Order: sequence, then C-alpha cells, then structure tokens
Amino acid sequence: MDPFDFFGNHIFRMVFFGTTVIGVAAGALGAFAYLRRQSLISDVIGHAALPGAMLAFIAAVVVFGVDGRSMLLLVVGAVITGTLAAMFANAVSARTKIAIDTAMAISLTTFFGLGMLLLRIIANSPFPGKGGIQDYLFGNAASITRADLTTSIVVGAFALLLMIVFWKEFTLRTFDPVLSTMLGFKARVIDTLMFTTIVIAIVIGVKAVGFVLMVAFIVTPPAAARQWTNTQPGMVMLSAAFGGLGSGLGAYLSISMGNVPTGPVICLVLFAIFLVSLLASPNRSIVVTAMSRVRARKALLREFTPGGGTQ
Amino acid sequence: MSYVTGVVLLACITALACALPGVFVVLRKSSMIVDGIAHAVLPGIIVGYWLTHDLDSPVLILGAALAGLLVVLGNEWLSDTGLLAGDAPQGLIFPALFAGGVILVSMDLQHVHLDTNAVLVGDLNLAVFPALIVNGVNIGPQYLYTMLAVLVANAAFIAVFYRRLKLTTFDRQFAEVLGLRARLLNTAFMFLVSMTVVAAFKAVGAILVISLLVVPAATAQLISNRLSTMIVLTCVFAVAGAFAGFWIAYVLNTGTSAAMAVFYGILFVAVAALGKLATRIRRKRHAEAARAVARGRSEAAPVAGE
Repeated sequence: MDPFDFFGNHIFRMVFFGTTVIGVAAGALGAFAYLRRQSLISDVIGHAALPGAMLAFIAAVVVFGVDGRSMLLLVVGAVITGTLAAMFANAVSARTKIAIDTAMAISLTTFFGLGMLLLRIIANSPFPGKGGIQDYLFGNAASITRADLTTSIVVGAFALLLMIVFWKEFTLRTFDPVLSTMLGFKARVIDTLMFTTIVIAIVIGVKAVGFVLMVAFIVTPPAAARQWTNTQPGMVMLSAAFGGLGSGLGAYLSISMGNVPTGPVICLVLFAIFLVSLLASPNRSIVVTAMSRVRARKALLREFTPGGGTQ
Repeated sequence: MSYVTGVVLLACITALACALPGVFVVLRKSSMIVDGIAHAVLPGIIVGYWLTHDLDSPVLILGAALAGLLVVLGNEWLSDTGLLAGDAPQGLIFPALFAGGVILVSMDLQHVHLDTNAVLVGDLNLAVFPALIVNGVNIGPQYLYTMLAVLVANAAFIAVFYRRLKLTTFDRQFAEVLGLRARLLNTAFMFLVSMTVVAAFKAVGAILVISLLVVPAATAQLISNRLSTMIVLTCVFAVAGAFAGFWIAYVLNTGTSAAMAVFYGILFVAVAALGKLATRIRRKRHAEAARAVARGRSEAAPVAGE
C-alpha cells in the first residue's frame, strides 16, 4: 500500500500513531526494567491488568452509567491491579522462601484467572457495550478512536514526564541501590513510582496490542538497544526509538497485508530488530565477537609460530 | 460414567498431572520458563492441529511440545551469549512465537476452529466429549485417558530419575562434578513439562496451566522442609483445588480452569499468612521461654565470676 493512501485514511492514521506512541513509551520505560534485571515483571503486569480492566468495565456500567469501554477508566483499573500484582510478587519473594520467578508466576496466573472469571461473568451478563471486550486479550488496533489516542498520548506523556523528573533517582536506584538508600532516597517510594510508570506504559497498549503481548514491547526494545550503546541516556532514547519504529512499521505492515492483527505483527518486527542487533551490532554482538576471536587467534598463532605466519 | 463425574475426575487428573512436575519446576526456579513454554506451544498446537485435525493426537502433543522446548533451548542460548542482562532472555523468544500463533489463528488456516478465548483458558466442560466407549459401556471421557497417560509418564519419569533430579535441583555443581549430565536431564525434564502443558491445554488453556503447574507446589514449599513431604502436600493441594474450582465454577457459571486458578491463588495466600502467624506465635513462645529461663537463672544461681 502506498503511504499516501495509508495516511489519508483516518483509521490507519489512528492505528499508526496510536501504536507508535505506545512503542515509544514502553521502549523508554522498559529500559529501566531491563537495567534492573526485572524485565519479566512486565509479563506479570500485562496479565494482571486484565481483571482491572474488567472491574473498570463493571464499575463504569453499574456505578457511573457510562460506556464500559472508556479508555480512561480502563487505564485506571488496569494500573491499580497491575501495580498490585507487581507488589504482590515482590512481597511474596521478600517475605517467604518462594523465589521471585515462582512468585511472579503465582501473581500472573492468579490475577489472570480472576480476569477470565470476570470476563466470563460479563459475557454472561446483560451489560450494554460488552461486545468486543474480548479484544483486550489480543488487542484490536482498528478499534482505536481519536479519544483513545488522546488518552494514550496524555497518559504516556505523563509517564515519560515522571521518568524525566525522577531521572536521577531512578538511575541511582537502578545502578546503586545501597548508595541511593544511604543518600536518603526512600527505596519504597522510588520503586513504587518506577513500577507505576512501567505499569502505565503497559496499560496504554491494551486496546491496540492486548494484555498478553505487551511483554514484548517492554522486553525487546531495550534488549536490542543494549547491543548498541553503553550509556543510560543512550539506552533509554535508543530503546524508545526502536519501540516507536518497530510499532509504526508493524502497524503499517499489518494493515498492508490485510486481515492480520496488529499487535502480533509488531511483536515480530520488534523481535527482528532484536535479532539483527544481537547478531550484527558493531560493538558487542555475536558476529563481531566471533570475528574478533578469530582475529585474536590468528594473531596469537603468528606470534608463536617461528617464521611468523603460515605453518 | 455421568457427565459431572467425568468433569470432576478430569479436573483432578489434569491437576495432578501438572502439579507433579511442578514440584521440580518450582524448586529449580524455572516457573517463568514454564510461562514462556505455555505461550510458545500455541503455534505448535495450531500447526499440529492443521496437520492432524485431532487435539488429542500424540503427534500433535509431541510436535507442539518441541515448540515449547524451543523456548528452553533458546533461553539457554541467549543466556550463554552473555550479551543480555537479568531475566530478559526468558522474555524475548516466547512473545515472538506466541505472536506467530495468534497470526496463524487469525488467518484461519484450513478453517481451524480455535477460539482465541479457548486458547487462553480452555474449557473443561467441553473437553469431556467425546466419551470412550468399550463394549458398549461408557467408561468416561477419552481425554481423561490422555491426561492419565501424561500423569503416568510424569510419575514414571520422576520415579526413575528421582535421585538425579533431586541432586541436580539442590546442588547442580556437585551433580556435575559427579559426572551427571545435568543439562541433558534438564532438557528431558523440560520436554516432559512442555508435553504436559500441551496435553492440558485443551482443558485449561495456555496461561492457566501455569497455575496448575506452579501454585500447588509453591504452596507446599511454604510449609515443608523435605522433598517427599512437599510432593505429597502438592498432590493434596492440587486435588483440593480441582474440587473447589469445579464447585466455584458451577455456582458462578464460569470456566472451571479460571476458578481453579483463583482458588489456588487464594489457597497460597491463606497458607502463607497462616505460616507467618504460626512462626510469630512460635517466636513469641520461644522468647517467653527464654525470658523465663533467664529470670530463673538470675534468681537461683549467681553468675559465674561473682
């Protein structure tokens, strides 16, 4: 499809910009999760956001009497349960002998099970506007409206703003938690803030990408970015760039190919970016490392063979 | 066999078949790898279903289990490159495979009727059809026997390799020094886990199967100090959850597997809280006893050196 047709279409434009915003926010904030070595917490948060979205739907219909699929309420509900799940996993591993990965698995499935229970209850109920609520699982980028896009941008920008304001605190806590505590920064406050921003980045992707695949948006761009840079600002900016680029390209491809869901295509594009980075980035990558190893071996051989060179 | 008996029995057998290898999954800290496997088998199942048109086919189960193994081996490979930090390797491969699966589902290859909702949570109430009929007698759902075979396979593997599994789980380096091929055993074990995930997929879905695998074992780990105790407790919790889950789902008119997952979660929290309470009471009693002893000593005998 040629770009003029693409950007001439309102829905396509919404999908493109919506997913790009999500990719940028998730990529930037995912960099912190990556550097803290807790990338998988995003998988927990993504799954645990489901019950929050369902509760928000029920609250919207029963209590407020508004459209149950309002993006703002959805974001609020999902942020609450997503944060709870992350805190639950960390608390279990800190207070019991259960290891962190098991704690994350417990948190993930329990919250997700609750979400699926609520989903079934809503599906059985006479609530208005329940159609399409199953899209929350895998996302449906074509359902993004102008209002949703505005909400995504505002909420995503808020998360990025938090990141910039607390840049120093986040970085210090990430690289030297002990020093950060000794200097008087409250570990719990900073952690809660940092995880909340990550949760926000995940949750705004719900409508477009779905809960299940959001993990790829948080984990993949930083893992790719890490292969190109050695500095914290470089990492965050490059990761955001990869996220935005991959999302935009994925959205474009999925629409061009016709009836293919957007979220999964973006996932595959991000994975391709990661693979290229891992294999062929100039500083640290599999190919470069292998080549320098071969070169070093040859040099060593030259040095130790009399006559200098061929055997 | 009546319908309800069939469902409850199926829930019990599935829970047991998952929970048994779950003990070692939890102890080996591979819980999130199982999460990855559970997502990654989706493309394997779809391609397998496309080829065999039978979700119970052994070919499909083995083939899809290989897709799960991709995650395990890929994770090891990515970790070995030394280019990635923390748990990122575990989170890189499975979303890509899962995304491929979702795309395959949406393309509706040869009209494979797999509802995405069913992919995630399964449906125990439908899994009991068709029934296996021998000599005109209904001896329960066919699928029950598939799960029973998986349960037997898991129990047999654990029984045969019990000592090796135990050693590689608790002291991998020592096991390797002794000459045990820890990595090969791990791959074989993860293949078994992957097979279990695929087999249970029809009944409980790709994501809630993690709950059946991990949570009963984790709950048992909270209150046991011996491997044998932990295995027995895991089985007890697994079966209790199967009954409770069926009952909750029946009352609320929802999916059995989701209800089981929620019940297991609540059970875990309850056991953890009770455990903490018991520890606190024990500590208080010890402190009182120590204080009493100290008081008695200071009154009765003068301290040495006076």
